[in-house]
Amino acid sequence: MNARHAGIITKKELKGLYNEKTIILAILLQLFIAMFSSFLMVGLASMYDPDSVGRLSTIRYPVAYTGEDSPLFGYLSAREDLIVYRMELDTAVAALGERKLGAVVWAPDTAPDADDPIKITLYTIQNDIQATVINVKLKEVFLEYESDLRDIRAPRLDVRPLPLEIPPSEPGSNFYEFVYGLLIPLLVFMPAIISSALIIDLITEEYQHDTLETLMSTPVTFTEMIWGKVAACLVIVPVQSAAWLLLLVVNGIAIANAIPILLHVTAGSMVLILLGAITALHYRDRTNAQFIFSTGLVVVILFVLALPYNPLNLIVRLSVDAIGAEHWLILLAVIAFTAIASIATDRYAARIGTRIFQK
Amino acid sequence: MRETLLAVWTIARWEVARSITTMSRDVLPIAIALFVLLVAVTGFASQSGVHLQDGMYNLGIDDPGAARIFAGDERFAVYQADAATLMAAQGTFDLIIIDGRVSTPETEKGRSALRALSRDYTRYEAFVFNQQEDLFAAYPLWIDSLEVKSELDFIATQSGQPVGAGLYGRRRPVPDGPVLPVAPPSATIDVSREDLRRDLIAGAGTDSQISRYSDILSPDTGPGTFKTPSQLSPPLPFDSIILVFVFIFPLYFTSQFFMMSIMNERVERRGEILLSTPLKPWQIIVGKALPYLVVMLGVSAILALINSAPLIILLPLLPVILFFLANALIIGMVARSFKELSFVSIFFSTIATSYLFFPSIFANVHVISLISPLTLIVLQMQGDGFTATDYMYSTSLFWLTSAVLFYVGTVNFTEERLFTLHTLTTRIREFIGTSISLSRPYTSLFLISLFSIPFVFMAQLMMLVLLFNLPMPLSLIVLLVGAAFIEELAKSIGVYTLVANIPDFFSWKRVVAASAAVAAGFLIGEKTLLFATLAQISDSIFGAVLFASLQVLWIPLTLHFIGIFVTAAVLRTWGRRAYLPGLIAATVIHTLYNLSFILGWI
Repeated sequence: MNARHAGIITKKELKGLYNEKTIILAILLQLFIAMFSSFLMVGLASMYDPDSVGRLSTIRYPVAYTGEDSPLFGYLSAREDLIVYRMELDTAVAALGERKLGAVVWAPDTAPDADDPIKITLYTIQNDIQATVINVKLKEVFLEYESDLRDIRAPRLDVRPLPLEIPPSEPGSNFYEFVYGLLIPLLVFMPAIISSALIIDLITEEYQHDTLETLMSTPVTFTEMIWGKVAACLVIVPVQSAAWLLLLVVNGIAIANAIPILLHVTAGSMVLILLGAITALHYRDRTNAQFIFSTGLVVVILFVLALPYNPLNLIVRLSVDAIGAEHWLILLAVIAFTAIASIATDRYAARIGTRIFQK
Repeated sequence: MRETLLAVWTIARWEVARSITTMSRDVLPIAIALFVLLVAVTGFASQSGVHLQDGMYNLGIDDPGAARIFAGDERFAVYQADAATLMAAQGTFDLIIIDGRVSTPETEKGRSALRALSRDYTRYEAFVFNQQEDLFAAYPLWIDSLEVKSELDFIATQSGQPVGAGLYGRRRPVPDGPVLPVAPPSATIDVSREDLRRDLIAGAGTDSQISRYSDILSPDTGPGTFKTPSQLSPPLPFDSIILVFVFIFPLYFTSQFFMMSIMNERVERRGEILLSTPLKPWQIIVGKALPYLVVMLGVSAILALINSAPLIILLPLLPVILFFLANALIIGMVARSFKELSFVSIFFSTIATSYLFFPSIFANVHVISLISPLTLIVLQMQGDGFTATDYMYSTSLFWLTSAVLFYVGTVNFTEERLFTLHTLTTRIREFIGTSISLSRPYTSLFLISLFSIPFVFMAQLMMLVLLFNLPMPLSLIVLLVGAAFIEELAKSIGVYTLVANIPDFFSWKRVVAASAAVAAGFLIGEKTLLFATLAQISDSIFGAVLFASLQVLWIPLTLHFIGIFVTAAVLRTWGRRAYLPGLIAATVIHTLYNLSFILGWI
């Protein structure tokens, strides 16, 4: 194989990507997904941890307490972010309907140590984002009340759970796990999936547009052409992934072990690209190849995810610096697998190449 | 009539036959093998679990009993050792439990680990409590949630201020309206203890990583609305993602085949034979699309039956299916190469999926969720159902945009358009150019801007949904500028196409006339669609920003006229290359107008 010939093909494909603006579309696409995630993050943060949205933190929510006297009133009044009014149920519900209240609570006079449970009725506004915020605050109150009631009724329990003293969790971002456990592997692996779809297009295009014969009349052999295309798809992977890591770091998300992460992504994407290449060589038709490949991709990804210490998991562990040197071993294993797949692809391409010449 | 239908039928049959013959070469056996593999792998994955977040946190613990609590959570790498050893290696742990006391370093990771740990511990507690003989000793407090419909609802935010909460200070709120008597709720729970226990145990199971997603589709069968405080939580926003995968993904997948079928007609001019028949373009397109439409409907129906969902959910899915097909048609017609086809279609599907997905996150929270047909499916599955108004509100944009796209595809389904290769933007311009009649340019411009309205609304709603959660002043500013830009862009498309095709078309007189036609078309479209569908959103503060220019008729007409006139004049003076500066100038003017409108200067 002549590496210079393959290099020419690589350059041609990269130039094509640049000229057709497809690479720009690809980047736009990834940006869009990032936007999607940031939307999710902000949205989730404001739903589950309303205090993280600054403007909501200073507001005190008005809540009406109705029904009989009970310790619940004390718990509610102790909260700094709630203002509690004692009201009649029907007035309170009417005021709630006019949004003059955030929620209405109705409590019975069931004794704390009674046999029966204490049933609180909670009225909130339908279809309202503020109701969600208040719900979160009231939930904390109810949990506190529940735990004290549980202590009162404790003698009646058969088994008690192992006690564990957990320090109160501080308010703050609760999307650490989301960012490191889902977003980073997704974003970093996205270019690999894009590239493996790309190789199918590049190969089937030569078949379906009948440009193969022209290409074969040049000194470039069929195998060289395939490797040139594979190389073009491969080199854009670490570039995009690195750009992602950089963007995340700029956004204040610290990422450990960037270089090993990129190595893992590149090795993993080589496997996917070769898989795509073999599928495309076999079918020579984009519809069929993409269909089989995307189904196969789901199988492969699902299978890989079900394995412990899979590359995606390694990216997570590496990014939070929670793994020792053992990840190099796995990288080595992936590279060994890539080598075998490369040899297989090479043989397959060579066989098809000679067949074309015979024709 | 019968003959036209017959022609469509012939094309449809031909399409099916063609796709089967090209598919034959060992695609089917491999597809079946892959499917079997998929089932096997799914089984394997559900048994072994998804190992994505394994070992994120290092947990050191001195008590083997307590260590067992966290053994099932793979996020923790658990190390068991005596207290002294643990203390010595303190730095390597994110969490340490000694003598039942949890400690963690003051880092973001430590806090996150602590949160994961306390969630696990709650689950463990619930597991123990659920077994208690005296259930009400373990769960002494039950909450019955009732919802009150607020008459003011979304409209309340019209004044631009948070209504209700926080505004009333120390004064006891007094309702303005009539007070209707409300029956005091009963103090007891009318559900048996064992039913409650069953519900608790069922609820505990749904908290795990995978089952949380898989249980959403089956309707809730719990006894009433009674919940323990720890069960009290806002609806999980991830729930609708499963709907995307179950219903939308197969649709996207099938539409790919249609896209490819269109593209294949263009490769090597294969479609020439088809075009030389006496068949009309619309017959060809409808005939080719028909098998895919049937397949998509069939797949959706099967999916609905499998998930025991009511078949009425096909109703909101139908416009989505048409939308996918319409876009597949256009993408198949404009793409120059396979890779362009891939990227454009992935790009489109991401945007379409997020348009469907984002709003439905808020299915139970906010009216805005209704702009996505998926929300109707969520509501239907919850047993709430939807009304005809809801249906119109969330699907009309899909119906309209699909219709316009199919129309554009049909008029451009000619030899000249199909077998030429131009860059994406040029092609889109050509497509629009086809719909401009040179003998009646103003009518054409009027109609183009009229029919761009559904797309403008879609883009603006997408923006609204994206920005909805940003802090208030920022989201409004971005929305203001973005909305103005989208409107100016839509208005200028026709004019730009004319300038690009016939550079010396515009005399100053024609600039004025064209601007008037565009402004009128835009205003009429905006008004009509707005009244028909978006009343709820347009009454809120966000709506005020998006549709500020709709209040008194002559003011917005002038505004739209000035906006397009600026762009057209810039194009007239400096030619095509000045398009972007002209557009920006128009956007600035538009934004200033909207801003002054909102601040009450007009």
